[in-house]
Amino acid sequence: MEKGRSVHPDCINASNPYHECVEYCFQRIAESKSRAEEDETNDSSKEPEERIVHPDCINASNPYHECSDHCFKRIADLKAQIERNESDKQTVVSVEEERANQVEQNDGNVDSESGQPHLTEKQKKLFELRLKMNEARKANQMAMVAEKKKMEAPTETRGISKQKWLDERKKKIGKLLDSNGLDISKAYMLDTQEAAQAKYKKWEKDPAPHGWDVFNQKTLYNAHKKRTQNIQCDMEAYNKAKEEDPEFYREASSLQYGKMTKTPEENIDRMVKELQDRDAKRKSFSRRRKFHEEKDIDSINDRNEHFNKKIERAFGKYTLEIKNNLERGTALPD
Amino acid sequence: MSPASHPLLTLGLLTRRDTEVKLPRSTRVKNKTAAPIQITAEQILREARQRQENHRPPKQKITDSDELADYRLRKRKEFEDVIRRARRNTGTWVKYASWEESQGDLARARSIWERLLDVDYRNPTLWLKYAEMEMRHRFINHARNVWDRAVALLPRVDQLWYKYIHMVEILGDVAAARQIFERWMDWKPDTQGWLSYIKFELRYDEVDRARAIYERLVVCHPRPSYFIKYAKFEAKRREIARARAVYERAIDLNLSEDDVEAEQLFVAFAGFEMWCKETERARCIYRYALDHVPKGRAKDLYHEYDAFEKQYGDTAAMEDAIIVRKRKLKSDDDEEEEEQVRRKPLNYDSLLEAAYIWKKQKLAADI
Repeated sequence: MEKGRSVHPDCINASNPYHECVEYCFQRIAESKSRAEEDETNDSSKEPEERIVHPDCINASNPYHECSDHCFKRIADLKAQIERNESDKQTVVSVEEERANQVEQNDGNVDSESGQPHLTEKQKKLFELRLKMNEARKANQMAMVAEKKKMEAPTETRGISKQKWLDERKKKIGKLLDSNGLDISKAYMLDTQEAAQAKYKKWEKDPAPHGWDVFNQKTLYNAHKKRTQNIQCDMEAYNKAKEEDPEFYREASSLQYGKMTKTPEENIDRMVKELQDRDAKRKSFSRRRKFHEEKDIDSINDRNEHFNKKIERAFGKYTLEIKNNLERGTALPD
Repeated sequence: MSPASHPLLTLGLLTRRDTEVKLPRSTRVKNKTAAPIQITAEQILREARQRQENHRPPKQKITDSDELADYRLRKRKEFEDVIRRARRNTGTWVKYASWEESQGDLARARSIWERLLDVDYRNPTLWLKYAEMEMRHRFINHARNVWDRAVALLPRVDQLWYKYIHMVEILGDVAAARQIFERWMDWKPDTQGWLSYIKFELRYDEVDRARAIYERLVVCHPRPSYFIKYAKFEAKRREIARARAVYERAIDLNLSEDDVEAEQLFVAFAGFEMWCKETERARCIYRYALDHVPKGRAKDLYHEYDAFEKQYGDTAAMEDAIIVRKRKLKSDDDEEEEEQVRRKPLNYDSLLEAAYIWKKQKLAADI
């Protein structure tokens, strides 16, 4: 079957044993040759294995494609798009992007046509219609989101005041209660057993002292108790001293008071060490707070900043509403 | 003609027109709409802060003793100026004293502390800081002197006593610590002082002395809660007779009806008798208590009594208890309801309660 076949070796159908080259074949060969020459001038004479190709590029399957800056940019954009959009919007957009890119590429690169079928007029029109549909859908969704945002209240910049938070909670609980057929006075019925236990515990606890009351009689006594627990009682020295000293159990008026006793050095060391431990513990009484850079600056000075912090601590919860209103520009009609 | 415009007088002088500075005429604002990019107040503040410079003098290294003396002189002068301006401001005094301490000059530091105590001796923190300074530098006798003065001038500040005694104890001089405690007890302080004395004695296993101190405590503060503490101390050492005696003394106090602690006393006493497994005595105590304590203050008492009867009593005694309660608490609605529940023996709640009490009993017996 192979005898006397007129087959051009460069023809792409050369491997077909029954193919015989005709004029069309020769035309095509001539075209491909001219393209190959252009490629050489374009410096794409490398072996297919040595090209620079990003695996995510849509033209990666093309053996002669080399990824350029444009490709990388397109890949990055695609990735960003995929992350930003969600649900069906994503697929629409990415497909659309790819299509758009493909259209772009058809215009840009010269050798892409070898992989793409030629789009007929009808197909082109269909493609354009699809593009328009997608754009319309995108615009609709964006308008929907904007409208929803307008209807809801905007998130407050400085946080929600306690009053507002309480009101919202009351509303939520009210809704839940209504669904269960309960009265507002029976709101405790919604608590789980663990929540109820936690509440009982809290009621039984005394509130911890804070502010100017931190060093009251009770806390000082407790601190002293804790401190004395760590004293190591040297019973031998004690018993020895008991035997030696006639006035071991002294009254308040004993004359032994001002007498100088010989204290061994190690006891003094013990005392000094204990003092140093106390000092170290004292340092951890108040911790250094984190510095938030993203917070607004409302001070001209370090002293001013410190003052603002103190004022915020004292009056912050009362002025929160006013501050939010100022930020927004208008007061709410609540 | 006015002198200013007289031609001869103004000859050679600059005219008003010449001295006028020719400023460009301010153009009128044509477009009064808001600019597309506005600056905020916060932005202005931020820029102001960023562009601030730190007005600090450059750091200098001190190389020889002359420079050191100069630096010290300068600092001392600064400090003295500040304290001259604000004598009552203890903060600056304390800073001055700590600085002298950091320079190692203890004599000067002491003099500053003494001057400060001249100004204000009623501030216990100053005494604490002064004594701590002496202690840190291992001057024990100086520290002792300071503590002694502090405690003599401010005897009602417990913290000074605590720290004085703690220092003496940690130095190993237990006898001296005891003497200081005695001195403190002469002032009849609050119970916390007494209790810390008792703890001190118990640390060295001096039980008799601890007992004596408890006696003095209940004489000084004859409150039921301190009797209860005393009795618990005796009970812990298995001195049942003594504990009972203490409780009986407490009951002899003849407390007024309005006393909050009366109920606690009876509850504790009855609890003690139950712990000794003396049920009859416990029952007597409960009855006596219910007769003497007014209805409003006896809620705990009733609870405990009911629990006790469930544990030890037969149905007759239980009914008795319920009748007693019913008599006393006619108006209380939920109590009545509870009592109703109890009348029905097949009520699961009461069964569960009884089971729970039985379990507690078993665990107590195991221990």
